[in-house]
Amino acid sequence: MYRALLAALLCLLALPAAAIDGRQILQKVDRNLEPESYESYRKLIDVQPDGTKKEYVLYTMKKGRDKVVALFLAPASDKGRSTLRLADNMWLYMPDVGRPIRITSLQSVTGSVFNNADILRIDYGAEYDVEAAEEQKDAHLLSLKAKTAEVAYDRLRMWVDKQLLLPVTIEAYAASGLLIKTLRFRDVKDFGGGIKRPATLETDSPLHKGYKSVMLWSGLKKATFPDEVFTLNYLPRVQELRK
Amino acid sequence: MKRRLLAVLLALAARAQAAEEFGFDAAEFEKKPFEIGGYAELKQERFSLNQGGAFYRLGFLGQPQRETLDRTTGTLQLQGVARHGIGSLDFRTQSVAQGDELASERSTKIFDAALSLRPTPGFTVEAGKRALRWGKGYAWSPLGFVERVKDPNDPQLAREGFVMADADWIASPGGDLQTIAFTPVLLPVNADVNKDFGDPGHLNAAAKLYLLYRDTDIDFAWLSEGSRPARYGFDFARNLASNFEVHGEWARIRQLAKPVTDSAGRVTTEVGDATSYLLGLRYLTAADTTYIAEYYRNGTGYSEQQSSDFYRLVDDAFAAGNSALIQKASTLATSYGRPNAGTDYLYFRVQQKDALDIVYFQPALTAMMNVRDNSYQVTPELLYTGVKNLELRFRLFLLQGENFTDFGEKQVSSKLELYARYYF
Repeated sequence: MYRALLAALLCLLALPAAAIDGRQILQKVDRNLEPESYESYRKLIDVQPDGTKKEYVLYTMKKGRDKVVALFLAPASDKGRSTLRLADNMWLYMPDVGRPIRITSLQSVTGSVFNNADILRIDYGAEYDVEAAEEQKDAHLLSLKAKTAEVAYDRLRMWVDKQLLLPVTIEAYAASGLLIKTLRFRDVKDFGGGIKRPATLETDSPLHKGYKSVMLWSGLKKATFPDEVFTLNYLPRVQELRK
Repeated sequence: MKRRLLAVLLALAARAQAAEEFGFDAAEFEKKPFEIGGYAELKQERFSLNQGGAFYRLGFLGQPQRETLDRTTGTLQLQGVARHGIGSLDFRTQSVAQGDELASERSTKIFDAALSLRPTPGFTVEAGKRALRWGKGYAWSPLGFVERVKDPNDPQLAREGFVMADADWIASPGGDLQTIAFTPVLLPVNADVNKDFGDPGHLNAAAKLYLLYRDTDIDFAWLSEGSRPARYGFDFARNLASNFEVHGEWARIRQLAKPVTDSAGRVTTEVGDATSYLLGLRYLTAADTTYIAEYYRNGTGYSEQQSSDFYRLVDDAFAAGNSALIQKASTLATSYGRPNAGTDYLYFRVQQKDALDIVYFQPALTAMMNVRDNSYQVTPELLYTGVKNLELRFRLFLLQGENFTDFGEKQVSSKLELYARYYF
């Protein structure tokens, strides 16, 4: 009886310790991936089963844990479109429509395997709680649970490189337990300014068999922006802020 | 030696392919002082004419009667921006060349051409021609006080703006009130400027206050009495879940004058306050199917009885060959024949992304119904955007309604439309 009680007590004591470790790892992953406030250029490549590709180029600004703006620079059919994310709220501005409309995190403004939540990603720690952290041979495996129902994926399984504290693979699951997609980070590159992170992210999905999407980073650097940039009224003018 | 050379060549080829696949240098996308772009579009339409419809009879008065009409339209839209310091000059023009079996025409319109100054990110002042878009509705926008009316058949199409001076002040206080923005507008109307906005001789003032409060978009809008009757209203939009959005608009127009006829052609002007509102939702399923639904109460519209009286007038006038009454009906056609001239409409659209496992292939079905007279329009649509910068769209409009109903009296009973649009 005493043994069982002792075991239960030890388990209870062990749980917060694991959670704290997991949280710390996730915090480091967030900061190692990107500074809290930054600007960057990204290329999104959608590869179809027959090998044909469609490419998009975006300029991205992020401030704090949950403010992101992305501006489409190419192709010509999408140039001038901009998207804004403030925590769980997302909007899309199309120049011809002339006003921002609300969009959802599960949609994809590009039509690729990457959805809006991937393209306008905010800190993992802002959206997910660490439920469990498991130590494996070369990686930490974090089991993450969405903080609210607004988050695009209900659960994530994130393998984190032990040495670099950068994600290697992330599996994204729906609330039903269905695997929605797998994200694979690679090509760790020194961007300067103390930023060393994967320059390539690949994703595929059992829901889109044979299709693949790739995200490439360039020009990632720390930057500061006023809060007013991350507003609906500023969306049509985002391109003017670019250097 | 040969094997080694082959291995080196293969390795080089593999590296070249990898470089091609993943090469990306942001330098080529630096901001330029001058940019220009746009699209060229070729559209073919076939109209099946509704020879019994009131608006066909008025529109084809004195012309050879036809069952169909084929129209070809070429459109060139150009947009660009020139930047210098805190200022920029942007423009958007649309040139259209259109020809059918009856007529051909060419026109060029300046949609936007405005000088903007941004001394700080939180403050912008603009002057020139500008297409401001207010409201949250997808198919309709009762709150669009300073813009040309949206076409519910093509709500995402660029529209011509008005000459105005406007400013934008933005602040982010934080907390529950995440954003506050104020947009004042001055819009002159005289014989040369904005003459299609309303009565000349007025400097119209308008304003919009935007709030993002507890994750809800809220706008309050106002237009002074001047070229148009005074009006005010509000809108809202909010995500109830990550895949479910709701929105709404409410607008009140003061002392709106509306010409109304009885079935004998006696025209009176009704003057009174009109209230329009809209409620809508957008829902996305796990299978990437998007549903959009809206209910629109058009306070400026004609009741079922008023519309029926007008159609009766047209019917009787043509039956009797009464040219005076036909002329009177033609004059009223501008008001009775505008899009969605009734009072109550439902809009429903369902679109499927990547249908049939074809990426960038999006079929859709849109329905619009006048819920007072139960007439409706159904529009199947196919859209393909899989080729870089090319958009291909096919649509078939099918209109259905009894005699003396909204969609039953339109000029066409169906329309087939196909366009190819190339962006550059």
